[in-house]
Amino acid sequence: MGAVAEVTRGGERARPAPPERRRRSVGGVVAVVALAVCAVVFTYPLLWMALASLKPRSEVFEGSLWPSTFVWRNYVTVFQEIPLLTWLLNTFAVAAAAAVAVTISSALVAFAFAFLRFPGRDLLFGLVLATMMLPAAVTLIPTYAIWDALGLTGTQIPLWAGNLFGSAFYIFLLRQFFLTLPPDLLDAGRVDGLGHLGLFRHVVLPLSRPALVISVVFELKASWTDLLKPLVYLQEPHLFTLPRGLKVVLDRFGQGGEMRWDLVLAANVLATLPMVALFFAAQRYFVRGIATTGGR
Amino acid sequence: MTPGTPAGRAGQHRAGQDRAGRDRAGQGRARQDRARHRRSPAWSSPARRSATRRAEARAALGFLSPWLVGFVVFTAGPLLASLWLSFTSYDAISEPRWVGADNYRELAADPLVLKSLGNTVYYTVLHVPLSMALALGLALLLVAARRWGPFFRTVLYVPAVTPPVAVGVLFLLLLNGQTGLVNRALRLVGIDGPQWTSDPAWIKPGIVLLSLWSFGTTLVIYYAALQEVPGHLYEAARLDGANAWQRFRHVTLPMISGALFFTLVVNTIASLQMFAEVYTMYFGTAHTSAGAEEGLFYVVYLFRQAFEFLDMGYASALAWLLFLVILLVTLVQVRLSRRFVHYEGRR
Amino acid sequence: MRTRGALPLLVALLLVLAGCGGLGADRAEARTGFADEPVGPLTTMGYSLPDEVARVRVERFRQRYPAVDLRLNEGAFDEQQFLSALASGRPPDLVYLDRADLPSFAARGALLPLDECFEVTGMDLAEFRPAAAAQVRYQNRPYGVPEFLIVRLLMANRVALADAGIDPSRVDTADWGRLEAWARAMTRSSGSRLARLGVDPKIPDFFPMWVRAAGGDVLSADGRTARLDSPQAVEVLEMAKRIVDQAGGQGVVQAFRDGWDLFGARNPFAADQIGLSPMEDWYLNVLAQNSPRAPVVVLPFVGRDHQPLSWATGLAWAIPQGARNRAAACRLVREMTTPDAWVAAATAKRDARLARGLHYTGTYTAHVAADERIRAEVLRPTGLDWLDEGIRVIERAQGVAFALPASPAGAEVKRAWEDAVTRALGGRASPADALREAQQRATAALARVGAR
Repeated sequence: MGAVAEVTRGGERARPAPPERRRRSVGGVVAVVALAVCAVVFTYPLLWMALASLKPRSEVFEGSLWPSTFVWRNYVTVFQEIPLLTWLLNTFAVAAAAAVAVTISSALVAFAFAFLRFPGRDLLFGLVLATMMLPAAVTLIPTYAIWDALGLTGTQIPLWAGNLFGSAFYIFLLRQFFLTLPPDLLDAGRVDGLGHLGLFRHVVLPLSRPALVISVVFELKASWTDLLKPLVYLQEPHLFTLPRGLKVVLDRFGQGGEMRWDLVLAANVLATLPMVALFFAAQRYFVRGIATTGGR
Repeated sequence: MTPGTPAGRAGQHRAGQDRAGRDRAGQGRARQDRARHRRSPAWSSPARRSATRRAEARAALGFLSPWLVGFVVFTAGPLLASLWLSFTSYDAISEPRWVGADNYRELAADPLVLKSLGNTVYYTVLHVPLSMALALGLALLLVAARRWGPFFRTVLYVPAVTPPVAVGVLFLLLLNGQTGLVNRALRLVGIDGPQWTSDPAWIKPGIVLLSLWSFGTTLVIYYAALQEVPGHLYEAARLDGANAWQRFRHVTLPMISGALFFTLVVNTIASLQMFAEVYTMYFGTAHTSAGAEEGLFYVVYLFRQAFEFLDMGYASALAWLLFLVILLVTLVQVRLSRRFVHYEGRR
Repeated sequence: MRTRGALPLLVALLLVLAGCGGLGADRAEARTGFADEPVGPLTTMGYSLPDEVARVRVERFRQRYPAVDLRLNEGAFDEQQFLSALASGRPPDLVYLDRADLPSFAARGALLPLDECFEVTGMDLAEFRPAAAAQVRYQNRPYGVPEFLIVRLLMANRVALADAGIDPSRVDTADWGRLEAWARAMTRSSGSRLARLGVDPKIPDFFPMWVRAAGGDVLSADGRTARLDSPQAVEVLEMAKRIVDQAGGQGVVQAFRDGWDLFGARNPFAADQIGLSPMEDWYLNVLAQNSPRAPVVVLPFVGRDHQPLSWATGLAWAIPQGARNRAAACRLVREMTTPDAWVAAATAKRDARLARGLHYTGTYTAHVAADERIRAEVLRPTGLDWLDEGIRVIERAQGVAFALPASPAGAEVKRAWEDAVTRALGGRASPADALREAQQRATAALARVGAR
């Protein structure tokens, strides 16, 4: 919290001083009005989606925003027709595993880059940063071959286990944060006889909660919304994650299928809602994560 | 090596923190931090230093091991393996068979490679500058809105957390030329909108429109960058008689050029790999639409070759072509950035 | 130093993960032959339980073979999913797929020939309608067992006909010039917004039927030669393009269709969004269920020689190469396609419909005896003239229906004509050029398969 407040306050301090107060405040009002219009334009599709998912099926394509009657049954039907609950739980399990795995492993690596001296450190760190630029499509096929050789295609393991080895983005993010920790605390820990792992566990991790939360939150989002990996690795519907499942729902109930757009939209809402909730619960971490690393 | 007083060092570090914390280009500040850091372990006597150092390097190896293993197994290994696979015929069932440069010859003659690359480049060339301009415009508004800025930043970011598949599904409906929300809105202002999802000429513009909806990340970056422009620079410019445009052109733009450059590179790389939205919209059971041609983006084609037609050797060649294209584009951008990006005296 | 634990830990973890996979693979080794006693897990792909017809028959199987643990992976057959399951060595025991695609998979060695299964269960392809049986035979061996037989007929919206002053009794598809005039007369639009599509030729979907109506064929009888650029095919595409263009072009028509509530009470016939269109026979069932009062007239589809004709398609059961539980898979296929099972299923569907006050318009299978028994024992007049007439039209269409010849490159040939039609309708190539290119693609695909 402190850090976000700092960023914001810093920004306020940094803003140009206002000599012509009246003109500025007029400008401010214009800006707020313009932003309000934009906010409506940008959130309208989500609002439309939420309300259209409650419309009677024949009304989805009609112009009105408000349903003539609210068909809450759409949500009952969608759970009956589609294993949505299974997919929700799968997605949550995979995303949680992915987030925890990547955070712990990246923190270990970031600790070394932040606090330990070893030959070639700068070079290695440069390499870490370079891998951020590597397009995922290039390694997709051999990575598939590896999981296939291990007999793990068709399971959910490839969706998260790669995260056990850290990820450049989070290593960078956590290292940046670690460097901001007051060194006296680390020194105090050393004086108390803590080894590196002890320092990591008892000093660095507890002090880095905001950064760790950023990492967890970002990976939750990335994993929750990913389509490519589930598409590549999962074949059986009972293992699907939501994005993979949504694709099935679209094909079966949408275009070329039964044209039950009410159900498609209900499933869509259910896939989106957890992300919106996560964002509102953790928005300061989102903002801070993006501001420190440039985001993804 | 004499460490300063604890309080002094802590103060030093806090100052460093703010800068490092906001340092999006990263590297320059990091070097300073490391330099400072090297001074800190002052508890060891010179005699024990080399032993400690060796122990520390061993410890570092332990901490780094997840990434080292991951780098070898999931990054460097696959990178080289896909280069090798690109010279083989491989279907994931039988062993790869060496075929020399056959895949690359086929690639050069495959009209769909050119088509999908063309689609992707068209999208990138439109999406990247448009989303940057939109984000910058709105970020300036956020700054002007003062204490309302953070609120609107939050609201405008919401579309960015919507899963891409859900975005694809949603826009399939919103963009429908007959009944979609977009054309209804256009009709309100007297425009007879195009058939965004079914007219070959309008499918890609429709995808660009969709992509502009989730521009939130870029917006947050610009907003943060704008807030860091020191007020005294505007002050000075004003005293020099610079008007609003000149202040924007000569103060704002140079001061946020680092953020602009960063988003240019990252958004370009991401755009060239666009997949989920187009795959959702145009590659389902109803694949006969014109979307299968106009919505054929490069990674979609690569994915289909690899995992639908199981032609993984050919797909590896496609992957390497993409890698080289991205590498080239990024290098060109870095080159150009040297002329335009202002690094606040860092280089 | 206490930090070196990480690497061994990770390696150990990887090994454990690999071990899990290995365990799975070991279990996979147990296989049953066709003649074995059916027990154990049976996995399917592509088959869902949307209605009584599916549920009743599956239930019969479960009761008869309680030792089999049937696991249905519901959802449509997905070629990608199937191929990657095959590649990873864990294919399902049974797949349910389009008969047109079946020979392609058989030619690639992805499916098992079923002679032994037929022998064990006493099944015979002669039980099935010739149009369906021919589709599942490849190199004179059976590779699949047909389920439904879907035929096509003409459905017209009486309101639209009346608007345009067209006498419903004179409506047919023999004279294409007249068809285009009707399309213009029934289409309603303002600007680029369509309110009603006069005629929907349903192309590319029904392309082979139109070519047959013009006296041509998209494939030679042996399925080894494509004829996509024949004069008849070009003529069909030119006609379709004129009809689509007068309604505002392919983009408009496609977007308009995407907005239809095809399976609801506000379907395009009930909502007056369509004038005239060839439709699959099951759509009569959809209309009977959702809008029995819709102003629809059902007519046979006729060729330019005025003779009724219809294109038959459908799905089939097949057993993949590498299937582990062949015994159970084979028994399920047999159980699903006996006349007794069909009659029980059709009866259940009829009763469920009637219990909800809805009309039942028949269940049409690829099994000759089953269809005869359903007609005699299950089907009753609905009391609505247009539905009863529709049932008679379906029955007549079944008698004249043709199927596309089984072709080892059937899927590729289909994709070629679909792409060509889409390109031509979208104005990106002339019909003749688009079809010429499709012909080259199809010929190349057939040559590749022939060389195998």
